[in-house]
Amino acid sequence: MTNLVLSIRDLAVTFPSERGPVEAVRGIGLDLFAGRTLALVGESGSGKSATAASIMGLLPVGAQARGEVLLGGRDLLALDDRRMSAVRGKRIGMVFQDPLSALTPIFSVGRQVADAVRVHTRVSKAAARERAVELLGLVGISQPRRRARDFPHQFSGGMRQRVVIALAIANNPDLIIADEPTTALDVTVQAQILEVLETAKAETGAAVLLITHDLGVVAGHADEVAVMYAGRIVERAEVRELFATPAMPYTLGLLGSMPAPDAGRRLPLVPIEGEPPSPAQRLPGCPFEPRCPLARADCRDKEPALTELRPLHQVACVRAEHVAGRRPGDVFGRAEQPPVDTPAAAEAVLRVVGLSRTFPVTSGAVLRRRVGTLHAVSEVSFDVRAGETVCLVGESGSGKTTTLLEIMRLRPPESGSLEILGTDVAGSLPASERRRLRQAVQIVMQDPQAALDPRLPVFELLAEPLLAAGSGAEATRDRIAELLNLVGLPSDIVDRFPAAFSGGQRQRLTIARALATRPRLLVLDEPVSALDVSVRAGILNLLARLKAQLGLAYLVVAHDLAVVRHIADRIAVMYLGHVVEIGDAEDLFARPRHPYTQALLSAVPVPDPVRERSRERIVLRGEQPSAADLPTGCVFNDRCQRRPTLTARLQQRCADQRPSLEPVPGGTEAACHAA
Amino acid sequence: MITTLPTSAPDDSPAPPPPRLGRARLYVRRFARNRPAGAGVVIFLVLFGYAAIGGHVSRWNWSDQDFLALTEPPGASHWFGTNQGGNDVFTQSAHGLQRSLVIALSVSVLTVVISAVVGAGAAYLGGRVERWTLAVIHFLLVVPAFLILALVSNRVSGDWRVLILLLTLFGWMFTARVIWSVSTSLRERDYVLMAEFMGVSRRRIVARHIIPHLGALLIVNLTLGVVTTVLSETALSFLGFGVKTPDVSLGSLLADGSVTISSAPWLFAAPAGLLVLLTVALTLIGDGLRDALDPTSTAGGHG
Amino acid sequence: MFRYVARKAAGWLIMIILATNATFFLASWFLDPRSNYRELRPVRTDEQIAHALEPYGLSPSWSVVHRWWYWLSDVVLRFDWGHSPTGVPVNSEIPQRALVSGQLILLGTVSAVVLGIALGVYTATRQYGAVDRAGQAVSIVLFNIPTAVSALALVLGAVWLNQRFGTTVLHVAGANTPGVEGTWPTVVDRADHLVLPTLNLTLLGYVSWHLTQRALLLDALNADFVRTARATGLTRSQAIRRHALRASLIPTVTSVAFSIPAVFTGAIVTETVFGWEGMGRYFTQTISQNNVDGVVAVAAFGAAATAVGAILSDIATVALDPRVRAS
Repeated sequence: MTNLVLSIRDLAVTFPSERGPVEAVRGIGLDLFAGRTLALVGESGSGKSATAASIMGLLPVGAQARGEVLLGGRDLLALDDRRMSAVRGKRIGMVFQDPLSALTPIFSVGRQVADAVRVHTRVSKAAARERAVELLGLVGISQPRRRARDFPHQFSGGMRQRVVIALAIANNPDLIIADEPTTALDVTVQAQILEVLETAKAETGAAVLLITHDLGVVAGHADEVAVMYAGRIVERAEVRELFATPAMPYTLGLLGSMPAPDAGRRLPLVPIEGEPPSPAQRLPGCPFEPRCPLARADCRDKEPALTELRPLHQVACVRAEHVAGRRPGDVFGRAEQPPVDTPAAAEAVLRVVGLSRTFPVTSGAVLRRRVGTLHAVSEVSFDVRAGETVCLVGESGSGKTTTLLEIMRLRPPESGSLEILGTDVAGSLPASERRRLRQAVQIVMQDPQAALDPRLPVFELLAEPLLAAGSGAEATRDRIAELLNLVGLPSDIVDRFPAAFSGGQRQRLTIARALATRPRLLVLDEPVSALDVSVRAGILNLLARLKAQLGLAYLVVAHDLAVVRHIADRIAVMYLGHVVEIGDAEDLFARPRHPYTQALLSAVPVPDPVRERSRERIVLRGEQPSAADLPTGCVFNDRCQRRPTLTARLQQRCADQRPSLEPVPGGTEAACHAA
Repeated sequence: MITTLPTSAPDDSPAPPPPRLGRARLYVRRFARNRPAGAGVVIFLVLFGYAAIGGHVSRWNWSDQDFLALTEPPGASHWFGTNQGGNDVFTQSAHGLQRSLVIALSVSVLTVVISAVVGAGAAYLGGRVERWTLAVIHFLLVVPAFLILALVSNRVSGDWRVLILLLTLFGWMFTARVIWSVSTSLRERDYVLMAEFMGVSRRRIVARHIIPHLGALLIVNLTLGVVTTVLSETALSFLGFGVKTPDVSLGSLLADGSVTISSAPWLFAAPAGLLVLLTVALTLIGDGLRDALDPTSTAGGHG
Repeated sequence: MFRYVARKAAGWLIMIILATNATFFLASWFLDPRSNYRELRPVRTDEQIAHALEPYGLSPSWSVVHRWWYWLSDVVLRFDWGHSPTGVPVNSEIPQRALVSGQLILLGTVSAVVLGIALGVYTATRQYGAVDRAGQAVSIVLFNIPTAVSALALVLGAVWLNQRFGTTVLHVAGANTPGVEGTWPTVVDRADHLVLPTLNLTLLGYVSWHLTQRALLLDALNADFVRTARATGLTRSQAIRRHALRASLIPTVTSVAFSIPAVFTGAIVTETVFGWEGMGRYFTQTISQNNVDGVVAVAAFGAAATAVGAILSDIATVALDPRVRAS
């Protein structure tokens, strides 16, 4: 029988704000048991981070928490800072979201871990240092004794997160809280960190409260799931039960809108209309009602309480029985499949051959000396034909964003060639020709908030590219109305400022602006990664519709393979500035040939507990090396999981000779000597 | 290096908009809520009025010498008293304040304009232009400015117009550096990059996207620039290098008053009091403006 | 660490040399030593004046470069900083004056920094409390008072105090009282004379340290790493003291050097008001007396003071910031 570690009863948290007190959490209850992981799932405004902060007593000044948080019978909310400090770090350890700023920059890593030990246990400095080295080794930092003397800025994001985990488990806590521990990390690093968390759980036998918005992570690591929406728990169940038979329409919608990397043939995602509500505006009835296709008249009057539907499965919805057994597409309505238009031999809208870009690495503040070269992009070649979507996939440091920016500059690249609509940008082109090319290629960036100047109203924002192209006042007005219609926004918003819109709406605005000059190619840099999960599906469907309607070609940069699965026709996988595999999306997902592609695909969590827990995973060791010192041979050589299985002669070849892309009939092209 | 936690709702909320407020009205409202700033405005207006019409209100002229009333304490005929030469302190102070204000306001406006153009331009144009501009700025910061100011103004016998030029010459670097560093962070913003990709010309980008964002910074610097100029000019005139006889500024009046400080304290009190009121009022206004226009800056901090 | 400091010192030395030489040219351009002689009666002819100025290297019949070379060789070979137009050797003035000003600048800077940082730390941790609000108000007023005004106000206050007690409690003129014998009485006497000028420099100087340190510490308090420190079990005040404070002191300490030119400017006015014969007072005198060599000496002193401050703050950075030591 597992032990009850922590019990939350009726927790409510309010924050002060310019508009008066705001309720972030409105009465939730949870039980956490030793050795089991409870996943708390939610999007923006759900209150999940506030819950974690109140358990730890780390709410910001001015915030108030009511209710009970019982740890071994003691109510933590009633403790003052001094008594609570004796609990923090000893009985409860916490892992935070952003590892880059979580460690104190002026103390060495070993010192910080040793200090964490000495806060709660009377040991000598030497003993604490030994324990710190032991912990650093436990969380997978190689050469822990030497690295304990290093400072946080000498570690990468993934390594810093390992240190944070070491801090959390330093004193064998009974509970580990992990608040979005992997959201800021690359997908292969995410896989490593989740593995470290499992190790930590096994070592300490602690209960784990895992806060996340990623259902794939939940499927792979949680035992129990609680779904939060608008400050309350709306569904709670064992993980397999939740994924197989969700009872709340919101949960059903979430499952439907999550792209899955191993889905069958590409299908449109099921979007949930609208956006998650902000804590500042609370309506009397069920908060999900505005977005719920199954809503009844009485849903607006009273908020349903969390009741038991089946043993160990609770839900707060009066329509739960109508959800049972139905698929997301049936309840939320599937968007119509746009006609799949594959012209046989369409012209190439974009052709990139042998593109390379390097940056000098300098040191010294006043007199900059060049100490090395960063090879951001090396010999990248691909093309994009009219009507197709090509995705560049890779993690941070792979050079995909640099490639995009090189293309957008429309200048002859450092080496290699760039052709837009058949015209090479290198020759001396007349200004009108250059303008035509500029208008033919437009970009949508990752963060819609940063891409829109907050001081300009919508009209000015959309007019800017039109005016730069020489459009007249009347024509501009008409075109703007047309654009807003295209992206599904009402035309009366032209006088409002970007701050007045939600994330999804802002992204629609940036898409509208990009379409203003009737481009042939749209370049998209992580178009949905800054948006809430339930909103992503809507934007992806919009992009698909626009492509079919306007005959566009897309070049998309993404790190989320699940998203890529749903939109790509062809995919190029990049690692350290090189294209390591390129080919048809179907072929790549079905039969990936390069070991990096295989590892990448393996690292993406599948939102299905049965499949996720039973599949074989490839977890890469180590970290991506710096692009400033590229090895002579294959760039993936030092981390390649296939390497140990090769003959000595082949291994030597991998170390000496950099492989080039070799095609295989009926498959993809891969740059690997052992493919 | 250091990041901040949000102080209201922790999850970022993307959803529905608050009722729309005109931006200008929002600023005015925030400024009006700030009581010390309001007091500052009142004080400044009173001083401004005094400087403008003080000379006309009194029956004395600032250069008149009333030989019947030498070094007299404040009284009915001379509201602020007289000095050893029989000059009426009230009108002299008004003239001095006027002089100091004219110098300070002109210098501040010129400085802000030059700093904005140089700082924003250097940041946006980048490359060699930026490097050379920064080198010039750093060099000028290192040069002993006060010394040179003293040398040159001494030579030109305190002509206030030359003084304006000099103070501007040595004053623009500080603000330019601040503007440059803010502009460099602005030019990295996505919407500036987007404007480039949409084919908007560089000049238009600087004018439309960069300079308006500096607006808050420029306004605050304008106000506080007046304060620093007043202080510099006062120090120079006090030492005898700035505004010199027969012309009068608050600094020179202070120097005159310092000789007879215990025997005729009103000669010191008038210019000293005016200076303190002026600088404090302007600082309060500047702080209030900063809070109203850019509440995210932590340098403010009104609860 | 020595190499790091030595490198920085070399850089500052170059800066001092550049600034001093540049000042020579500027001073030669704007000052006219001949005017000192024009007041004399009987009237001297131009040749007589030029002849009188020659031994001091100030003759207008020489080119500027010639005069500069004369001055430079004297300084480098004999450490002779030249003469005033009337023949008073600059070297006779400098040592005493440099000591006097050095004392004032050092004490003024140190006490301003210490007071400012202490106040900044105290008010940041008790934001919006009574002391914070009072401190802000006081700071706003003090920050904007011209040096001359505050110095004179202090003089007024001291005079009133002295009159009330019937004896000279605080001295308002000079660095010491002539005729005081014995080590202990001399020390007390000098200290007493130091009180007011130091107070003046402190009151005006501490404000920017107060406000800057407060803002930096407030930023650090909200930083993620402080939250992590608390999560490991440190109480709020422990986390602040060990993590936030040290991290926020570093940028403050590194900027001490840049405040010295301002302190020097403040010292000029302070010395004038309190009658201290230091380099500050010399600054005013040399300019009005068209003493080119003297002005250059003052510039060199100011630059040297800044350099010393910069090196000291670099040493402090190395002491506080282990990242610098490691690299």
